[in-house]
Amino acid sequence: MTGRAGDIATYIAAIALTALFVMPLAWLVSLALRTPQEVYLGAARFIPQQPTLENFRLILSDRAFGLYLFNSVKLCALGALGAVVIATPAAYAVSRFRFRGSNTLMIGILAVQMISPLVVIIPLYRYMDRLGLLENHGSVIALYMAIGVPLSLWLIKTGFDTIPLALEEAAAIDGCGRFEILLRITLPLAAPALASAFILNMIMGWSQFLIPFILLTRDGQLPISVAIFNFAGSTSASTTQVLAAACLVAVVPALLSFLALQRLIVRAIMAGAVKG
Amino acid sequence: MQQNRLVWLWFTPVLLLLGAVYIVPVLDVARLSFSDATLLRPVTAYGLQSYRDMLGGDSLGTILNTTAVFTLLNVLGLQLVGMGIALLLIRGENRRLRGMSVLRIIVLAAWVIPGVANGLIWQMLFSEAPFGAINSTLRLIGLPGVAWLSDPTNAMMSAVIANIWQGSAFSMIVFYAARRAIDPVLYEAASVDGATPAAQFVFITLPQMRGALLVNTVLVTIQTLNTFDTILALTGGGPGRATEVLSLNIFNTVFYGFDLGGGSALAMLLLAISMALTLIYLSILMRRGART
Repeated sequence: MTGRAGDIATYIAAIALTALFVMPLAWLVSLALRTPQEVYLGAARFIPQQPTLENFRLILSDRAFGLYLFNSVKLCALGALGAVVIATPAAYAVSRFRFRGSNTLMIGILAVQMISPLVVIIPLYRYMDRLGLLENHGSVIALYMAIGVPLSLWLIKTGFDTIPLALEEAAAIDGCGRFEILLRITLPLAAPALASAFILNMIMGWSQFLIPFILLTRDGQLPISVAIFNFAGSTSASTTQVLAAACLVAVVPALLSFLALQRLIVRAIMAGAVKG
Repeated sequence: MQQNRLVWLWFTPVLLLLGAVYIVPVLDVARLSFSDATLLRPVTAYGLQSYRDMLGGDSLGTILNTTAVFTLLNVLGLQLVGMGIALLLIRGENRRLRGMSVLRIIVLAAWVIPGVANGLIWQMLFSEAPFGAINSTLRLIGLPGVAWLSDPTNAMMSAVIANIWQGSAFSMIVFYAARRAIDPVLYEAASVDGATPAAQFVFITLPQMRGALLVNTVLVTIQTLNTFDTILALTGGGPGRATEVLSLNIFNTVFYGFDLGGGSALAMLLLAISMALTLIYLSILMRRGART
Protein backbone atom coordinates (compact mmCIF):
# COMPACT_ATOMS: atom_id res chain seq x y z
CA MET A 1 0.00 0.00 0.00
CA THR A 2 1.88 3.03 -1.21
CA GLY A 3 1.16 6.44 -2.65
CA ARG A 4 -2.24 8.08 -2.69
CA ALA A 5 -4.33 5.14 -1.53
CA GLY A 6 -2.05 4.66 1.48
CA ASP A 7 -2.19 8.35 2.30
CA ILE A 8 -5.96 8.31 2.26
CA ALA A 9 -6.02 5.22 4.49
CA THR A 10 -3.59 6.96 6.86
CA TYR A 11 -5.83 10.00 7.03
CA ILE A 12 -8.95 7.93 7.61
CA ALA A 13 -7.28 6.03 10.46
CA ALA A 14 -5.91 9.25 11.94
CA ILE A 15 -9.27 11.00 11.81
CA ALA A 16 -11.06 8.00 13.33
CA LEU A 17 -8.53 7.80 16.17
CA THR A 18 -8.63 11.54 16.76
CA ALA A 19 -12.42 11.37 16.97
CA LEU A 20 -12.22 8.52 19.47
CA PHE A 21 -9.80 10.45 21.63
CA VAL A 22 -11.72 13.74 21.38
CA MET A 23 -15.14 12.22 22.03
CA PRO A 24 -14.94 11.88 25.85
CA LEU A 25 -13.81 15.48 26.23
CA ALA A 26 -16.42 16.70 23.76
CA TRP A 27 -19.12 14.91 25.75
CA LEU A 28 -17.85 16.51 28.93
CA VAL A 29 -18.08 19.97 27.36
CA SER A 30 -21.53 19.17 25.98
CA LEU A 31 -22.86 18.13 29.40
CA ALA A 32 -21.27 21.10 31.12
CA LEU A 33 -23.08 23.52 28.80
CA ARG A 34 -26.55 22.02 29.28
CA THR A 35 -29.52 22.85 31.43
CA PRO A 36 -30.79 20.00 33.66
CA GLN A 37 -33.69 19.40 31.23
CA GLU A 38 -31.37 18.93 28.26
CA VAL A 39 -29.04 16.64 30.20
CA TYR A 40 -31.85 14.10 30.25
CA LEU A 41 -32.11 14.16 26.48
CA GLY A 42 -28.71 12.43 26.22
CA ALA A 43 -26.99 12.19 22.86
CA ALA A 44 -29.95 13.75 21.04
CA ARG A 45 -28.80 17.11 22.40
CA PHE A 46 -25.08 16.70 21.84
CA ILE A 47 -25.18 20.32 20.80
CA PRO A 48 -27.42 21.92 23.43
CA GLN A 49 -30.29 24.01 22.10
CA GLN A 50 -30.16 26.32 25.08
CA PRO A 51 -26.49 26.34 26.00
CA THR A 52 -25.83 27.82 29.40
CA LEU A 53 -22.82 28.92 31.38
CA GLU A 54 -24.81 28.57 34.58
CA ASN A 55 -22.90 25.41 35.62
CA PHE A 56 -19.55 27.14 35.31
CA ARG A 57 -20.93 30.14 37.16
CA LEU A 58 -22.01 27.85 39.97
CA ILE A 59 -18.58 26.24 40.20
CA LEU A 60 -16.46 29.34 39.78
CA SER A 61 -18.52 31.52 42.10
CA ASP A 62 -18.05 28.92 44.81
CA ARG A 63 -15.14 30.33 46.77
CA ALA A 64 -14.07 26.81 47.71
CA PHE A 65 -13.30 25.92 44.08
CA GLY A 66 -10.95 28.84 43.69
CA LEU A 67 -9.24 27.66 46.83
CA TYR A 68 -8.93 24.06 45.53
CA LEU A 69 -7.32 25.32 42.33
CA PHE A 70 -4.97 27.53 44.29
CA ASN A 71 -4.06 24.60 46.57
CA SER A 72 -3.32 22.43 43.54
CA VAL A 73 -1.07 25.05 41.98
CA LYS A 74 0.71 25.65 45.28
CA LEU A 75 1.32 21.95 46.06
CA CYS A 76 2.39 21.09 42.50
CA ALA A 77 4.63 24.12 42.00
CA LEU A 78 6.44 23.83 45.32
CA GLY A 79 6.75 20.05 44.99
CA ALA A 80 8.06 20.37 41.43
CA LEU A 81 10.50 23.11 42.38
CA GLY A 82 11.71 21.19 45.41
CA ALA A 83 12.33 18.06 43.35
CA VAL A 84 14.39 20.03 40.82
CA VAL A 85 16.41 21.79 43.53
CA ILE A 86 17.21 18.53 45.29
CA ALA A 87 17.91 16.56 42.14
CA THR A 88 20.21 19.15 40.56
CA PRO A 89 23.36 18.66 42.69
CA ALA A 90 23.06 14.89 42.36
CA ALA A 91 22.51 15.15 38.61
CA TYR A 92 25.58 17.36 38.33
CA ALA A 93 27.70 14.90 40.27
CA VAL A 94 26.53 11.94 38.17
CA SER A 95 27.19 13.86 34.97
CA ARG A 96 30.58 15.35 35.87
CA PHE A 97 32.42 13.13 38.35
CA ARG A 98 33.62 9.62 37.78
CA PHE A 99 33.47 7.61 40.95
CA ARG A 100 32.90 4.07 42.03
CA GLY A 101 29.29 3.10 42.50
CA SER A 102 27.95 5.98 40.41
CA ASN A 103 26.02 3.66 38.08
CA THR A 104 24.61 1.58 40.90
CA LEU A 105 23.53 4.72 42.72
CA MET A 106 21.77 6.09 39.65
CA ILE A 107 19.96 2.80 38.99
CA GLY A 108 19.01 2.55 42.64
CA ILE A 109 17.49 6.03 42.62
CA LEU A 110 15.60 5.35 39.39
CA ALA A 111 14.36 1.99 40.70
CA VAL A 112 12.69 3.79 43.61
CA GLN A 113 10.07 4.94 41.09
CA MET A 114 8.79 1.40 40.88
CA ILE A 115 7.62 1.48 44.49
CA SER A 116 3.97 2.44 44.57
CA PRO A 117 3.21 5.48 46.73
CA LEU A 118 0.43 3.29 48.12
CA VAL A 119 3.03 1.10 49.85
CA VAL A 120 4.90 3.92 51.57
CA ILE A 121 1.89 6.06 52.43
CA ILE A 122 0.81 3.48 55.03
CA PRO A 123 3.72 4.03 57.44
CA LEU A 124 4.13 7.67 56.39
CA TYR A 125 0.56 8.34 57.50
CA ARG A 126 1.43 6.98 60.95
CA TYR A 127 4.67 8.98 61.25
CA MET A 128 2.94 12.18 60.26
CA ASP A 129 0.07 11.47 62.58
CA ARG A 130 2.52 11.07 65.46
CA LEU A 131 4.55 14.15 64.49
CA GLY A 132 1.40 16.23 64.08
CA LEU A 133 2.12 16.73 60.38
CA LEU A 134 -1.23 15.59 59.03
CA GLU A 135 -3.42 18.34 57.56
CA ASN A 136 -0.19 20.00 56.52
CA HIS A 137 0.72 21.18 53.03
CA GLY A 138 4.41 20.82 53.84
CA SER A 139 4.06 17.04 54.23
CA VAL A 140 2.28 16.72 50.90
CA ILE A 141 4.92 18.86 49.18
CA ALA A 142 7.72 16.73 50.65
CA LEU A 143 6.11 13.60 49.19
CA TYR A 144 5.57 15.25 45.81
CA MET A 145 9.27 16.16 45.87
CA ALA A 146 10.31 12.59 46.62
CA ILE A 147 8.08 11.25 43.85
CA GLY A 148 9.51 13.76 41.38
CA VAL A 149 13.19 13.32 42.25
CA PRO A 150 14.06 10.19 40.23
CA LEU A 151 12.72 11.45 36.90
CA SER A 152 14.08 14.95 37.54
CA LEU A 153 17.50 13.52 38.31
CA TRP A 154 17.49 11.66 35.02
CA LEU A 155 16.27 14.59 32.91
CA ILE A 156 18.67 17.07 34.47
CA LYS A 157 21.61 14.69 34.19
CA THR A 158 20.82 14.24 30.49
CA GLY A 159 20.77 18.03 30.20
CA PHE A 160 24.16 18.42 31.91
CA ASP A 161 25.62 15.72 29.66
CA THR A 162 24.97 17.85 26.59
CA ILE A 163 26.93 20.83 27.93
CA PRO A 164 30.53 20.64 26.68
CA LEU A 165 33.12 20.28 29.42
CA ALA A 166 35.34 22.70 27.51
CA LEU A 167 33.12 25.61 28.60
CA GLU A 168 33.61 24.76 32.24
CA GLU A 169 37.32 24.18 31.77
CA ALA A 170 37.70 27.58 30.11
CA ALA A 171 35.98 29.20 33.08
CA ALA A 172 38.23 27.28 35.46
CA ILE A 173 41.29 28.64 33.66
CA ASP A 174 39.88 32.11 34.10
CA GLY A 175 39.96 31.45 37.81
CA CYS A 176 36.35 30.58 38.59
CA GLY A 177 35.70 28.16 41.42
CA ARG A 178 33.53 25.07 40.93
CA PHE A 179 30.43 26.57 42.49
CA GLU A 180 30.79 29.78 40.57
CA ILE A 181 31.08 27.77 37.34
CA LEU A 182 28.03 25.73 38.28
CA LEU A 183 25.96 28.80 39.08
CA ARG A 184 27.05 31.10 36.27
CA ILE A 185 27.72 28.73 33.37
CA THR A 186 26.39 25.22 33.80
CA LEU A 187 22.99 25.94 35.34
CA PRO A 188 21.95 28.64 32.84
CA LEU A 189 22.94 26.34 29.98
CA ALA A 190 20.94 23.51 31.53
CA ALA A 191 17.85 25.71 31.82
CA PRO A 192 15.79 23.76 29.24
CA ALA A 193 16.39 20.49 31.11
CA LEU A 194 15.57 22.13 34.45
CA ALA A 195 12.40 23.61 32.96
CA SER A 196 11.20 20.35 31.45
CA ALA A 197 11.82 18.51 34.72
CA PHE A 198 9.82 21.18 36.52
CA ILE A 199 6.93 21.01 34.05
CA LEU A 200 6.71 17.22 34.04
CA ASN A 201 6.70 17.26 37.84
CA MET A 202 3.91 19.84 37.77
CA ILE A 203 1.76 17.67 35.50
CA MET A 204 2.39 14.55 37.61
CA GLY A 205 1.54 16.53 40.73
CA TRP A 206 -1.70 17.84 39.23
CA SER A 207 -2.83 14.21 38.78
CA GLN A 208 -1.84 13.18 42.30
CA PHE A 209 -4.78 11.88 44.25
CA LEU A 210 -3.75 9.32 46.84
CA ILE A 211 -1.30 11.43 48.84
CA PRO A 212 -3.45 14.51 49.44
CA PHE A 213 -6.53 12.30 49.88
CA ILE A 214 -4.85 10.46 52.74
CA LEU A 215 -2.87 13.27 54.35
CA LEU A 216 -5.39 16.10 54.10
CA THR A 217 -8.98 16.07 55.23
CA ARG A 218 -9.80 19.67 55.99
CA ASP A 219 -11.84 20.99 53.08
CA GLY A 220 -9.99 24.28 52.64
CA GLN A 221 -6.69 22.50 52.10
CA LEU A 222 -7.68 20.03 49.41
CA PRO A 223 -6.31 20.18 45.87
CA ILE A 224 -8.74 20.02 42.96
CA SER A 225 -8.21 16.30 42.21
CA VAL A 226 -9.43 15.31 45.67
CA ALA A 227 -12.11 17.98 45.64
CA ILE A 228 -13.80 16.71 42.47
CA PHE A 229 -13.70 13.15 43.81
CA ASN A 230 -15.48 14.28 46.98
CA PHE A 231 -17.80 16.43 44.93
CA ALA A 232 -18.72 13.46 42.71
CA GLY A 233 -19.60 11.48 45.83
CA SER A 234 -21.95 14.23 47.00
CA THR A 235 -23.73 14.83 43.69
CA SER A 236 -26.71 13.01 42.27
CA ALA A 237 -27.81 12.32 38.72
CA SER A 238 -29.69 15.60 38.67
CA THR A 239 -26.47 17.59 38.99
CA THR A 240 -24.39 15.76 36.40
CA GLN A 241 -24.01 18.96 34.38
CA VAL A 242 -22.41 20.66 37.39
CA LEU A 243 -20.04 17.75 37.93
CA ALA A 244 -19.09 17.96 34.25
CA ALA A 245 -18.29 21.63 34.65
CA ALA A 246 -16.26 20.86 37.78
CA CYS A 247 -14.29 18.17 35.92
CA LEU A 248 -13.55 20.64 33.13
CA VAL A 249 -12.36 23.21 35.63
CA ALA A 250 -10.02 20.57 37.07
CA VAL A 251 -8.74 19.39 33.70
CA VAL A 252 -8.43 22.59 31.69
CA PRO A 253 -5.44 24.13 33.54
CA ALA A 254 -3.42 20.96 32.94
CA LEU A 255 -4.56 20.77 29.31
CA LEU A 256 -3.77 24.41 28.59
CA SER A 257 -0.31 24.32 30.12
CA PHE A 258 0.33 21.08 28.27
CA LEU A 259 -0.73 22.59 24.94
CA ALA A 260 1.39 25.67 25.53
CA LEU A 261 4.48 23.64 26.37
CA GLN A 262 3.89 20.46 24.42
CA ARG A 263 7.10 20.50 22.39
CA LEU A 264 9.23 20.80 25.50
CA ILE A 265 7.16 18.14 27.25
CA VAL A 266 7.31 15.62 24.40
CA ARG A 267 11.08 16.01 24.25
CA ALA A 268 11.32 15.52 28.01
CA ILE A 269 9.14 12.41 27.97
CA MET A 270 11.24 10.98 25.15
CA ALA A 271 14.43 11.59 27.11
CA GLY A 272 12.80 9.97 30.12
CA ALA A 273 11.24 7.12 28.19
CA VAL A 274 14.28 6.00 26.23
CA LYS A 275 16.60 5.79 29.18
CA GLY A 276 17.25 2.19 28.13
CA MET B 1 38.46 13.30 39.57
CA GLN B 2 36.91 14.11 42.90
CA GLN B 3 37.70 12.71 46.28
CA ASN B 4 35.41 9.74 46.76
CA ARG B 5 34.02 10.81 50.07
CA LEU B 6 33.28 14.37 49.01
CA VAL B 7 31.27 13.18 46.03
CA TRP B 8 28.62 11.80 48.33
CA LEU B 9 27.90 15.29 49.63
CA TRP B 10 26.23 16.10 46.31
CA PHE B 11 23.82 13.23 46.90
CA THR B 12 22.98 14.04 50.50
CA PRO B 13 19.65 15.81 49.84
CA VAL B 14 18.44 13.14 47.41
CA LEU B 15 19.46 10.26 49.66
CA LEU B 16 17.95 11.83 52.77
CA LEU B 17 14.64 12.52 51.05
CA LEU B 18 14.34 9.16 49.32
CA GLY B 19 15.50 7.41 52.46
CA ALA B 20 12.83 9.11 54.56
CA VAL B 21 10.01 8.75 52.05
CA TYR B 22 10.80 5.37 50.50
CA ILE B 23 13.43 3.26 52.24
CA VAL B 24 12.39 3.65 55.89
CA PRO B 25 8.66 3.28 55.14
CA VAL B 26 9.25 0.18 53.01
CA LEU B 27 11.16 -1.43 55.89
CA ASP B 28 8.38 -0.37 58.22
CA VAL B 29 5.69 -1.86 55.98
CA ALA B 30 7.63 -5.13 56.17
CA ARG B 31 7.63 -4.87 59.97
CA LEU B 32 3.94 -3.94 60.15
CA SER B 33 2.99 -6.82 57.90
CA PHE B 34 4.11 -9.16 60.70
CA SER B 35 2.12 -7.25 63.31
CA ASP B 36 -1.45 -6.93 64.45
CA ALA B 37 -1.53 -3.13 64.26
CA THR B 38 -4.62 -1.28 63.11
CA LEU B 39 -4.86 2.33 62.03
CA LEU B 40 -6.26 3.17 65.45
CA ARG B 41 -4.11 0.94 67.68
CA PRO B 42 -0.33 0.38 67.74
CA VAL B 43 1.37 -3.02 67.54
CA THR B 44 0.62 -5.36 70.41
CA ALA B 45 2.02 -8.59 68.99
CA TYR B 46 4.06 -9.88 66.09
CA GLY B 47 3.36 -13.01 64.10
CA LEU B 48 2.38 -14.45 60.80
CA GLN B 49 -1.33 -13.86 61.34
CA SER B 50 -1.71 -11.24 58.58
CA TYR B 51 -0.11 -13.52 56.03
CA ARG B 52 -2.13 -16.48 57.22
CA ASP B 53 -5.33 -14.43 56.91
CA MET B 54 -4.29 -13.14 53.52
CA LEU B 55 -3.42 -16.55 52.10
CA GLY B 56 -6.23 -18.35 53.89
CA GLY B 57 -8.99 -15.84 53.14
CA ASP B 58 -11.17 -16.38 50.12
CA SER B 59 -10.83 -12.84 48.76
CA LEU B 60 -7.14 -12.96 47.75
CA GLY B 61 -7.73 -15.34 44.84
CA THR B 62 -10.50 -13.13 43.45
CA ILE B 63 -8.44 -9.98 43.89
CA LEU B 64 -5.36 -11.45 42.22
CA ASN B 65 -7.47 -12.79 39.39
CA THR B 66 -9.07 -9.38 38.85
CA THR B 67 -5.66 -7.72 39.02
CA ALA B 68 -4.20 -10.16 36.49
CA VAL B 69 -7.08 -9.68 34.04
CA PHE B 70 -7.04 -5.89 34.39
CA THR B 71 -3.26 -5.68 34.04
CA LEU B 72 -3.02 -8.09 31.14
CA LEU B 73 -5.77 -6.38 29.13
CA ASN B 74 -4.24 -2.98 29.81
CA VAL B 75 -0.71 -4.01 28.91
CA LEU B 76 -1.97 -5.47 25.64
CA GLY B 77 -4.36 -2.62 24.88
CA LEU B 78 -2.05 0.24 25.84
CA GLN B 79 0.73 -1.12 23.69
CA LEU B 80 -1.44 -2.05 20.70
CA VAL B 81 -3.01 1.40 20.64
CA GLY B 82 0.33 3.09 21.37
CA MET B 83 2.08 1.14 18.63
CA GLY B 84 -0.69 1.74 16.11
CA ILE B 85 -0.68 5.49 16.68
CA ALA B 86 3.13 5.69 16.69
CA LEU B 87 3.37 3.89 13.35
CA LEU B 88 0.57 5.99 11.91
CA LEU B 89 2.37 9.17 12.96
CA ILE B 90 5.63 7.93 11.46
CA ARG B 91 3.92 7.09 8.18
CA GLY B 92 2.28 10.49 8.11
CA GLU B 93 5.59 12.20 8.70
CA ASN B 94 7.43 10.14 6.10
CA ARG B 95 4.79 11.04 3.53
CA ARG B 96 4.74 14.66 4.77
CA LEU B 97 1.01 14.53 5.43
CA ARG B 98 -0.28 17.70 7.06
CA GLY B 99 -2.24 17.80 10.27
CA MET B 100 -1.08 14.46 11.69
CA SER B 101 0.30 16.21 14.75
CA VAL B 102 -3.29 16.87 15.85
CA LEU B 103 -3.61 13.17 16.63
CA ARG B 104 -0.38 13.16 18.63
CA ILE B 105 -1.43 16.21 20.63
CA ILE B 106 -4.89 14.88 21.50
CA VAL B 107 -3.49 11.50 22.61
CA LEU B 108 -0.98 13.28 24.83
CA ALA B 109 -3.67 15.60 26.13
CA ALA B 110 -5.62 12.61 27.45
CA TRP B 111 -2.47 11.59 29.27
CA VAL B 112 -2.30 14.79 31.37
CA ILE B 113 -5.86 14.34 32.63
CA PRO B 114 -5.81 13.32 36.30
CA GLY B 115 -6.85 9.70 36.91
CA VAL B 116 -9.77 10.72 39.11
CA ALA B 117 -11.12 13.10 36.46
CA ASN B 118 -10.63 10.34 33.89
CA GLY B 119 -12.79 7.98 35.94
CA LEU B 120 -15.51 10.62 36.32
CA ILE B 121 -15.46 11.50 32.62
CA TRP B 122 -15.88 7.86 31.60
CA GLN B 123 -18.62 7.45 34.15
CA MET B 124 -20.57 10.05 32.21
CA LEU B 125 -19.89 8.15 28.98
CA PHE B 126 -20.73 4.68 30.30
CA SER B 127 -23.60 5.82 32.48
CA GLU B 128 -26.78 3.84 32.03
CA ALA B 129 -28.84 6.91 32.99
CA PRO B 130 -30.41 9.00 30.19
CA PHE B 131 -27.33 11.24 29.99
CA GLY B 132 -24.86 8.41 29.35
CA ALA B 133 -23.19 9.19 26.05
CA ILE B 134 -22.79 5.69 24.68
CA ASN B 135 -26.14 4.24 25.68
CA SER B 136 -28.11 7.29 24.62
CA THR B 137 -26.36 7.14 21.23
CA LEU B 138 -27.22 3.46 20.92
CA ARG B 139 -30.84 4.21 21.77
CA LEU B 140 -30.86 7.04 19.23
CA ILE B 141 -30.00 4.59 16.44
CA GLY B 142 -32.47 2.04 17.77
CA LEU B 143 -30.12 -0.36 19.53
CA PRO B 144 -30.60 -1.60 23.10
CA GLY B 145 -28.40 -0.10 25.83
CA VAL B 146 -25.50 -2.01 27.36
CA ALA B 147 -24.96 -2.44 31.12
CA TRP B 148 -21.48 -0.91 30.96
CA LEU B 149 -20.96 -0.50 34.68
CA SER B 150 -23.58 -2.64 36.40
CA ASP B 151 -22.55 -5.94 34.81
CA PRO B 152 -19.35 -7.37 36.33
CA THR B 153 -17.71 -8.44 33.04
CA ASN B 154 -18.66 -5.23 31.25
CA ALA B 155 -17.45 -3.14 34.18
CA MET B 156 -13.99 -4.68 33.82
CA MET B 157 -13.96 -3.91 30.10
CA SER B 158 -15.15 -0.36 30.79
CA ALA B 159 -12.38 0.21 33.33
CA VAL B 160 -9.83 -1.12 30.84
CA ILE B 161 -11.13 1.13 28.05
CA ALA B 162 -11.00 4.21 30.30
CA ASN B 163 -7.45 3.36 31.35
CA ILE B 164 -6.29 2.79 27.78
CA TRP B 165 -7.83 6.04 26.59
CA GLN B 166 -5.88 7.94 29.20
CA GLY B 167 -2.61 6.01 29.22
CA SER B 168 -1.67 4.97 25.70
CA ALA B 169 0.37 8.16 25.15
CA PHE B 170 3.28 6.73 27.13
CA SER B 171 3.62 3.66 24.93
CA MET B 172 3.08 5.83 21.88
CA ILE B 173 6.08 7.98 22.76
CA VAL B 174 8.32 5.03 23.58
CA PHE B 175 7.44 3.26 20.33
CA TYR B 176 7.64 6.46 18.29
CA ALA B 177 11.18 7.09 19.54
CA ALA B 178 12.19 3.46 18.97
CA ARG B 179 10.74 3.41 15.45
CA ARG B 180 12.51 6.68 14.58
CA ALA B 181 15.80 5.13 15.68
CA ILE B 182 15.60 2.33 13.09
CA ASP B 183 17.95 2.89 10.17
CA PRO B 184 15.79 3.86 7.13
CA VAL B 185 18.24 2.01 4.88
CA LEU B 186 16.70 -1.25 6.12
CA TYR B 187 13.30 -0.24 4.76
CA GLU B 188 14.75 1.04 1.50
CA ALA B 189 16.58 -2.23 0.92
CA ALA B 190 13.43 -4.19 1.77
CA SER B 191 11.23 -2.28 -0.67
CA VAL B 192 13.83 -2.68 -3.40
CA ASP B 193 13.55 -6.42 -2.76
CA GLY B 194 9.78 -6.10 -3.08
CA ALA B 195 8.81 -6.65 0.56
CA THR B 196 5.23 -5.61 1.34
CA PRO B 197 4.60 -3.16 4.20
CA ALA B 198 3.23 -6.05 6.25
CA ALA B 199 6.41 -8.04 5.66
CA GLN B 200 8.51 -5.01 6.54
CA PHE B 201 6.61 -4.65 9.80
CA VAL B 202 7.13 -8.31 10.72
CA PHE B 203 10.74 -8.65 9.60
CA ILE B 204 12.17 -5.18 10.29
CA THR B 205 10.03 -3.11 12.63
CA LEU B 206 9.14 -5.77 15.19
CA PRO B 207 12.62 -7.32 15.56
CA GLN B 208 14.29 -3.90 15.65
CA MET B 209 11.87 -2.73 18.34
CA ARG B 210 12.16 -5.84 20.45
CA GLY B 211 14.12 -4.03 23.13
CA ALA B 212 11.64 -1.16 23.32
CA LEU B 213 8.74 -3.61 23.46
CA LEU B 214 10.30 -5.57 26.32
CA VAL B 215 11.18 -2.49 28.35
CA ASN B 216 7.82 -0.87 27.71
CA THR B 217 5.92 -4.03 28.65
CA VAL B 218 7.61 -4.08 32.05
CA LEU B 219 7.15 -0.35 32.66
CA VAL B 220 3.49 -0.36 31.64
CA THR B 221 2.84 -3.43 33.80
CA ILE B 222 4.29 -1.70 36.84
CA GLN B 223 2.36 1.50 36.14
CA THR B 224 -0.91 -0.42 35.73
CA LEU B 225 -0.36 -2.43 38.91
CA ASN B 226 0.40 0.64 40.98
CA THR B 227 -2.49 2.90 40.01
CA PHE B 228 -6.15 2.75 40.87
CA ASP B 229 -7.37 6.37 40.63
CA THR B 230 -9.38 5.72 37.48
CA ILE B 231 -11.02 2.57 38.83
CA LEU B 232 -11.80 4.22 42.16
CA ALA B 233 -13.62 7.09 40.46
CA LEU B 234 -15.24 4.98 37.72
CA THR B 235 -16.56 1.89 39.49
CA GLY B 236 -15.22 2.13 43.05
CA GLY B 237 -14.15 -1.49 42.61
CA GLY B 238 -17.66 -2.69 41.84
CA PRO B 239 -20.13 -3.95 40.97
CA GLY B 240 -19.54 -6.22 43.94
CA ARG B 241 -15.78 -6.65 43.79
CA ALA B 242 -15.60 -7.13 40.02
CA THR B 243 -13.03 -4.39 39.44
CA GLU B 244 -11.27 -4.36 42.81
CA VAL B 245 -7.61 -4.70 41.84
CA LEU B 246 -4.82 -5.33 44.35
CA SER B 247 -3.85 -1.67 44.83
CA LEU B 248 -7.47 -0.65 45.40
CA ASN B 249 -7.85 -3.57 47.79
CA ILE B 250 -4.83 -2.37 49.81
CA PHE B 251 -6.28 1.13 49.91
CA ASN B 252 -9.66 -0.17 51.13
CA THR B 253 -8.11 -2.55 53.68
CA VAL B 254 -5.97 0.12 55.32
CA PHE B 255 -7.95 3.31 55.00
CA TYR B 256 -11.52 2.03 55.15
CA GLY B 257 -11.01 -1.25 57.04
CA PHE B 258 -8.32 0.27 59.32
CA ASP B 259 -6.50 -3.08 59.14
CA LEU B 260 -2.87 -1.99 59.08
CA GLY B 261 -1.29 -5.42 59.47
CA GLY B 262 -3.42 -7.00 56.78
CA GLY B 263 -2.99 -4.04 54.43
CA SER B 264 0.77 -4.14 54.95
CA ALA B 265 0.90 -7.83 54.07
CA LEU B 266 -0.97 -7.04 50.84
CA ALA B 267 1.36 -4.10 50.23
CA MET B 268 4.34 -6.46 50.60
CA LEU B 269 2.78 -8.62 47.91
CA LEU B 270 2.40 -5.62 45.58
CA LEU B 271 5.96 -4.56 46.38
CA ALA B 272 7.29 -8.05 45.67
CA ILE B 273 5.59 -8.11 42.26
CA SER B 274 6.90 -4.62 41.40
CA MET B 275 10.40 -5.53 42.54
CA ALA B 276 10.43 -8.73 40.50
CA LEU B 277 9.35 -6.76 37.43
CA THR B 278 11.99 -4.10 38.16
CA LEU B 279 14.69 -6.77 38.27
CA ILE B 280 13.50 -8.08 34.90
CA TYR B 281 13.59 -4.51 33.59
CA LEU B 282 17.12 -3.94 34.89
CA SER B 283 18.41 -7.21 33.48
CA ILE B 284 17.01 -6.26 30.06
CA LEU B 285 18.73 -2.88 30.29
CA MET B 286 22.02 -4.46 31.34
CA ARG B 287 21.96 -6.90 28.46
CA ARG B 288 21.15 -4.14 26.00
CA GLY B 289 23.89 -2.00 27.54
CA ALA B 290 26.38 -4.81 27.19
CA ARG B 291 25.53 -5.29 23.53
CA THR B 292 25.96 -1.73 22.39
